[in-house]
Amino acid sequence: MNLETFKYDNRIVRAFAIATIIWGIVGMSAGLLAAVQLFWPEANLNLQFVSFGRLRPLHTNAVIFAFVGNGMFMGIYYSLQRLCKARMFNDKLSWINFWGWNAIIVAAAVTLPLGLTTSKEYAELEWPIDIAIAIVWVVFTVNLMGTILRRREKHMYVAIWFFIATALTVAMLHIVNSLAVPASAFKSYPIYAGVQDALVQWWYGHNAVAFFLTTPYLGLMYYFLPKAAGRPVFSYRLSIIHFWALIFIYIWAGPHHLLFTALPDWAQSLGMVFSIMLIAPSWGGMLNGLLTLRGAWDKVREEPMLKFMVVALTAYGMATLEGPLLSIKSVNSLSHYTDWTVAHVHTGALGWNGFLTFSMLYWLFPRLYNTPLWSKKLANWHFWISLTGMMFYVIPMYWSGITQGLMWKQFTPEGFLKYANFLETVIQLIPMFVLRAVGGLLYILGTFLMAYNLWKTAKSGVFVPEVEAQAAPRNSGHDLHAEQDPWKHRWLEAKPITLTVLSLVAVAIGGLVEIVPMYLIKENVPTLSSVKPYTPLEVLGRDIYIREGCVGCHSQMIRPFRSETERYGEYSKAGEFVYDHPFLWGSKRTGPDLHRVGAKYPDAWHYNHMDDPRLTSPGSIMPRYSWLLEQKMDKKSLPARIAALRKVGVPYPAGYENSEALKDLEKQAETIVTNLKVGSVEAQPDKEIIAMIAYLQRLGTDIKAQAVAAPVNTSN
Amino acid sequence: MIKNVLTHVGGVENFGIISILLFFGVFAGALIYAACLKKPFLNQMSQLPLEDGTKKTEASHE
Repeated sequence: MNLETFKYDNRIVRAFAIATIIWGIVGMSAGLLAAVQLFWPEANLNLQFVSFGRLRPLHTNAVIFAFVGNGMFMGIYYSLQRLCKARMFNDKLSWINFWGWNAIIVAAAVTLPLGLTTSKEYAELEWPIDIAIAIVWVVFTVNLMGTILRRREKHMYVAIWFFIATALTVAMLHIVNSLAVPASAFKSYPIYAGVQDALVQWWYGHNAVAFFLTTPYLGLMYYFLPKAAGRPVFSYRLSIIHFWALIFIYIWAGPHHLLFTALPDWAQSLGMVFSIMLIAPSWGGMLNGLLTLRGAWDKVREEPMLKFMVVALTAYGMATLEGPLLSIKSVNSLSHYTDWTVAHVHTGALGWNGFLTFSMLYWLFPRLYNTPLWSKKLANWHFWISLTGMMFYVIPMYWSGITQGLMWKQFTPEGFLKYANFLETVIQLIPMFVLRAVGGLLYILGTFLMAYNLWKTAKSGVFVPEVEAQAAPRNSGHDLHAEQDPWKHRWLEAKPITLTVLSLVAVAIGGLVEIVPMYLIKENVPTLSSVKPYTPLEVLGRDIYIREGCVGCHSQMIRPFRSETERYGEYSKAGEFVYDHPFLWGSKRTGPDLHRVGAKYPDAWHYNHMDDPRLTSPGSIMPRYSWLLEQKMDKKSLPARIAALRKVGVPYPAGYENSEALKDLEKQAETIVTNLKVGSVEAQPDKEIIAMIAYLQRLGTDIKAQAVAAPVNTSN
Repeated sequence: MIKNVLTHVGGVENFGIISILLFFGVFAGALIYAACLKKPFLNQMSQLPLEDGTKKTEASHE
């Protein structure tokens, strides 16, 4: 047989591995600092750059895109070459992928603390970085597909299918969700507003979980688990069904993030049903993984890497059972906006992604450096410390979430809210927040142990930059199972382009069915005649609200429950958000909902509250925003902001930004300054706090302007 | 209000059933495809991660 000799590239794998470890520690540490701030607000040292609202997106982006992202590339660059029996398509592209991706992460680490954010969860990065992400992702996809097309192995193992689906879907999600009109180099407004923006965002957000955190890692599980167990996957048939059912269903599930909101009910129900159906493929995959260890469980005792893998799969199973349950409307009515969701995502992030990444790292380092792992004992310590940390994290968060949900809904026998003051429900949770931080600390300690262990492993071995391999060229007739009839033959496994097209169709259908009606809804969201565009001062205020990441703790979406309308006021209507670019419904209520906060308190209350929340609300865990009292608002950018908003559809009159806008701004600012004087507060009209107060006082007040808000002009 | 939205989206009542039918189509297709694959081929496929063409398999540090 004619064998070709070639070399696998280990350098790129090592680069991604090192980046994974470094960013893992950075991302987790950002999370720990954020966690500490929830019971000790002064831990931000009163610095705006590390206040909770800015830190939270830094943490989520670092963990998702930097830690798991680099981990994903590490695993793909290692396994793809070996599964294709080919070196990566192009080494230059590999390195552009590496440096480009990590430059993007550095850009995120700089811009997010500066408050340059779109506020859309897991898509916070501003438009220039979004463009860079798209370019680097295309580079990765070309490298991936090029390698697949130049493979020597005739058939594509199921792991490769998962990689293809990942590459395609992430590109689609990222581009559609990031469409925006720039107002400046680092500020843009999404082309979607309100309900549409929410639907697109959670179609993206949920599938960022699906196609960034799940499908690539499933592919890696299908590669590394059999490799480590030394036996093939339990059922290859099941892995095929797992793949198709999973990618088809996942894309539909996004609306479960918007249950009981102003999103049309049919879209909510569709999201719920498909979420429940997700249990089947997810558990099929988990069982396929666990059963691969059938007869090899003794290895789990010996091999720390397998311990991590087993916990990762178990956490995947738990999270993918819990996710569908949380999507059931009755469960969601309790769980949504609480820490239950936080616990859920951390079961996935710490357990599934974290442990699988650790597992791969422990497996790869000895092979990259051609030496045994420096200390199995230390790896076992890592396992137990991080597992304990995970428990200390998720259990208090479950406790906290359920407590929160129940307290919000508790009525007295007389029919009043039992905990009418939201702060009571927050103070109740503080011990849980402390325990959570302890859990996070343990988890990070474990990660440090791993970093040390792998560093020592690298020191004790010699790096193997390339590994020589031999394989017959594709189509050389070495295939033992020549095709005989149509059902025996493997047309899909041998045809990457067909597989790619079919995968694209599978993932596009869900998006189309949900998003095409979205455009129909766009024409049908009844415009409430009293809902008007934000004033120039409010636009600046809203952008400060976005910059500070207020949406990380405060929702703006009152669900139609008595417990919510009693607490906050009239439930939120779709038509109220038609000028909201972006929507700011939020996903978590560490603080109360703010949709009806307008006109609830005097201006001076807001001033004092932003200066130091504990002045007006003793025991509050909100950070101080004293810098808003000092910093001048950015009036210069106002024309560009108004013009960009007009481009995305807000009906400001032509030329308004050049003439009247600034005058209107100053007039409204003076009114607020006068109001503040009534409350014994002396303030200057050009400070950011004035814009913030203007925005907060506007929130949810439009429908009060008219007793009966009749839908008008439904054809727009 | 939501009722108003519902009545204005054309054929929205069919969306659910169309979606479920689509899913069952895909699911049934995958099932049939998987069921029709022959054992020797499945064995060959599932062995792929274990053979990477290196002289000495890299899984030697156990």
